[in-house]
Amino acid sequence: MRRYIVQRILLTIPTLLGVATIIFVLMRVVPGDIVLLRYAGEGAFVTQETIVQERARLGLDQPLWRQFADWIWGAAQLDFGTSMWTGRPIVSEVALRFELSLQLAVMAVIIAALVAVPLGVLSAIKAGTSVDYLIRVFSILGLALPSFWVGIVLILLLLSVFHWSPPVTFTPLRVDLGENLSQLIWPALVVGYRYSAVATRMTRSAMLEVLREDYIRTARSKGLKESVVMVRHALRNALLPVITVFGLEFAFLLGGLVVTEQVFNLNGIGKLTVEAVVRRDYTMVQALVLLMASVFVLVNFLVDMAYAWLDPRIRFR
Amino acid sequence: MLRPAGAWAHRAAGATSPRTGWLRSFVRRQQLGAASGAVILLMALVALLAPLVAPHDPLETSFLLMLRPPSPEFPLGTDAFGRDVLSRIIYGSRTALLVGFSTSFVGSSLGTVIGVASAHFGGKTDLLAQRVMDIFLSFPLIILAIAVVAVLGTGVLNVIVAITVPIVPRVARVVRSSALAVREMPYVEAARALGASHRRIILRHMLPNVMAPSLIMLTAYLGQAILLEASLSFLGLGVAEPVPAWGLMLRGAGTQFIERAPWLAIAPGLAISSTVIAFNLLGDSVRDALDPKLRVA
Repeated sequence: MRRYIVQRILLTIPTLLGVATIIFVLMRVVPGDIVLLRYAGEGAFVTQETIVQERARLGLDQPLWRQFADWIWGAAQLDFGTSMWTGRPIVSEVALRFELSLQLAVMAVIIAALVAVPLGVLSAIKAGTSVDYLIRVFSILGLALPSFWVGIVLILLLLSVFHWSPPVTFTPLRVDLGENLSQLIWPALVVGYRYSAVATRMTRSAMLEVLREDYIRTARSKGLKESVVMVRHALRNALLPVITVFGLEFAFLLGGLVVTEQVFNLNGIGKLTVEAVVRRDYTMVQALVLLMASVFVLVNFLVDMAYAWLDPRIRFR
Repeated sequence: MLRPAGAWAHRAAGATSPRTGWLRSFVRRQQLGAASGAVILLMALVALLAPLVAPHDPLETSFLLMLRPPSPEFPLGTDAFGRDVLSRIIYGSRTALLVGFSTSFVGSSLGTVIGVASAHFGGKTDLLAQRVMDIFLSFPLIILAIAVVAVLGTGVLNVIVAITVPIVPRVARVVRSSALAVREMPYVEAARALGASHRRIILRHMLPNVMAPSLIMLTAYLGQAILLEASLSFLGLGVAEPVPAWGLMLRGAGTQFIERAPWLAIAPGLAISSTVIAFNLLGDSVRDALDPKLRVA
């Protein structure tokens, strides 16, 4: 197992380096350069001197190889420079909003798992019935309905039924747990629903496959209770591909955060990303894109670990 | 002679006419997909004939008609600029279909060429191409699209580029794995033995035989691309006003106008959802019809 972990970590490093390289290249193919583009976007008159100064501050007057080395070296130390909009260090701007997005993500994952696994299992057990059909429609809709629209409709419903609307300020977890949860449960439901869609389908098909196995027949014929057969024998084996799907689909969770934070007016990483793009805060955009890609790579690394831990065959391959 | 549809043409064998036989058997076996196809065709027709179908000019603003609830004159009400919502939805289908078709077509074509070339050349070229594709796959779809928009700016053309970029590596990876199998086929070996050029082997012998996975990926990404365009436009990072686009129409609907004009929030969302559902169902059916084993994540 240890050898497998080391191997996987060594594979992750070049991927992260590649990700940082692509972002570096992307930000340098901007027509003109980011300083010119930023000031052109503002429409105000800017002297040549300011532009030269700003370029020097961002290190854009250095040769390309030097800029690249600085970017990689900085990223490795979590130093991304300062925001072109607020002038404050990017790390502290991100840290301010990280907690909210992290909590939202964790809640969405829990909701998705609580929705996907039971529904998938039920769908498989009742395959071909109207229950199965309903659950499948539910998951197809989860894939097709834009999460920002689900959010808008949810707000509309909450407004007309409970006269509740998204609060202007966010209450952190430590300050007031009840208030915090009542704020975040709705966006978490929206993100979690989208996230659960593919996992529900995967649980269903994995269960259907497992239920045909010989050992299920054996378990039943030795008189085990049906619930024991389902949970201990079937579900345990069906969960492996489901975990993979959770890892792959994590990309959609990140995308869901970006969109849903906007709908519910939550000041998290997603909202920061959108604002950074709108404000042409290029240093911020490159840091955030790197952050999200790294999180995705990291989650898939963890999923691979979980997979290897659950299925010993993987490590010895 | 290889027909362009080489890999799946055999399925149509036995049908009455070789040209329409595949369509007939598709409709018979994939009823849901065929129905979705019909819906999409209807939608394309509406988009094409928008000037004839739409009751009003989608760009015409009026301060007197701001935020009017649905009425016989404005069946879906008017927006904050007094524009007719129904007409904007009809014209919005042009944006959605344009972005959806162009991104998935260009994305899957580029991805197919890269995938086939990567498999054909093999060795170091293949390794390098696959590593680059892997790195691109480390970016969540929407995040990469947002990064491209950050560089290029908003607008229809830039959004098309932004959505195409993340589709290419996803198609390339799937097509490459099919192309690896095709590469070992006797007819490709024969072409190599005859001294055919790389170009000829790739275009003439390999490409026609990976059309099935390529087509599957194309249809699979149609719905996703439309959803992505709507999301970007909703965030203000996609199509820019005053171009009618469904995602853009929902901007502010959940916050600013939710109490005064709830109708603004419903119709564009239904338009996006039904279109994406139709494309997803069609995509699933095309996949089932062409290759039941291939899974598109």
